[in-house]
Amino acid sequence: MIRFLLNQVGLYVLFLKKVFSKPEKASVYYKQTMHEFVSLGLTSIGIISIISFFMGAVITLQTAYNTENPIYPKYLIGLGCRDSIILEFSSTVAALILAGKMGSNIASEIGTMRVTEQIDALEIMGINSASYLVLPKIIATLLFNPVLTMLSICVGIFGGWVAGTLSGVITSENFIYGIQYAFIPYYITYSLIKTLFFAFIITSVSSFQGYYVSGGSLEVGRSSTKAVVYSSVLILLFNVILTQLLLTS
Amino acid sequence: MISVKNLNKSFHDKNVLTDITVEFETGKTNLIIGQSGSGKTVLLKSIVGLHNIDSGEIWYEDTIFNKLEFSEKKKIRSEIGMLFQGSALFDSLTVEQNVQFPLDMFTDKSPAEKTDRVNFCLNRVNIINANNLYPAELSGGMKKRVAIARAIALNPKYLFCDEPNSGLDPVTAILIDDLIQELTEEYSMTTIVNTHDMNSVMEIGEKIVFISEGRKCWEGSKHDILNSDCKPLNDFVFANSLAKKIRAVAG
Repeated sequence: MIRFLLNQVGLYVLFLKKVFSKPEKASVYYKQTMHEFVSLGLTSIGIISIISFFMGAVITLQTAYNTENPIYPKYLIGLGCRDSIILEFSSTVAALILAGKMGSNIASEIGTMRVTEQIDALEIMGINSASYLVLPKIIATLLFNPVLTMLSICVGIFGGWVAGTLSGVITSENFIYGIQYAFIPYYITYSLIKTLFFAFIITSVSSFQGYYVSGGSLEVGRSSTKAVVYSSVLILLFNVILTQLLLTS
Repeated sequence: MISVKNLNKSFHDKNVLTDITVEFETGKTNLIIGQSGSGKTVLLKSIVGLHNIDSGEIWYEDTIFNKLEFSEKKKIRSEIGMLFQGSALFDSLTVEQNVQFPLDMFTDKSPAEKTDRVNFCLNRVNIINANNLYPAELSGGMKKRVAIARAIALNPKYLFCDEPNSGLDPVTAILIDDLIQELTEEYSMTTIVNTHDMNSVMEIGEKIVFISEGRKCWEGSKHDILNSDCKPLNDFVFANSLAKKIRAVAG
């Protein structure tokens, strides 16, 4: 077990070394990165928006029902919604959702290319297949996932406002006061730093799983599942480490 | 010319190729034949560098290919075209983009020059009005021809074909064989074809190497193959009842 783990870590490091070697032709990589912006980034806007909206709504309602006490000012519902979304939901929970969506997409795409010899075809041409296939995905997610996080924060807070005001648990004025109250801008930075780490984990781990597939469609499916599971576990692990490093002084 | 000297290759302690020594001649269609599982594909993939070999040497002209670093192999690899068993066209690219791909990666041609070259290659393999189709929209024979067009886009010196006829009907298989032979002569390439199709052997086999259980058992031309006294080769060549009847009639 330990030997297998060390072997996989070693293979992953060598894989990353191959991914970050000098690109063959910058213009082709640029085009590929633009393509990945669309296929990995833009296509995630919908799911992130929907989930963020409803999570924001649920956080607001739950905060409201759990703080039904005249001692607590109502605006704390808005504050709770804001901080929950910025600190945890839009970076970590959204990353777990993206690990499912992007991770399975990446692992199955690269895994299928492996079993249908498309990666061999790239290697025959003298192209560094790991770099050509993975580097644009990493760049695209590192640049676009922070945008998704910011979008998630905005939509989540909006969802909280809609649910709070429509259900009557909080007035619009109180909610808006709450989301402005005691705001710490560093929380946004913290959230974005976590997003960058998680984006790298999702893309590199999923690509690694797909790249070393051998066999047929069954193995591609398994690699896709492994990509999601391993990415999710690593996201949760790094969430603890980064929180300890970034929020404690 | 490509030379293989004392090549050995194993997977997890299982010997797949043992002491293979063979020369593949320039301007000729060289065939590697043998039963399924005999090691043909492993030999072909070892020659192009997709498998690292355990021992031996692979020479491309006067360079030992298997001793080169990845970056040093690039020059030779830019002179290699390969047709894979399943065509290995890039699913996300159209026919035109697939053929243009090596041009984008390795040349500084203008877009117009690239388009001309792509159209020339597609016309050469008789693919007409299919530039904007995706591989999923093509038949098996068309996929093979597009893969050949991609393989010749950079005017390669070496062409490798892994079972080019697998999954094709006899008529299309002959068309693909003819195309490979014509291109080999036209561009004076060193072509190596992996096959177990006896039609191909008798049509285009200028030099044939027979592999059995990972060892080279016989080499010669299509004219010699019917008179060989190599038993594994005879068992392979005369495996089907039609061939046996012809042999009996011919005495």
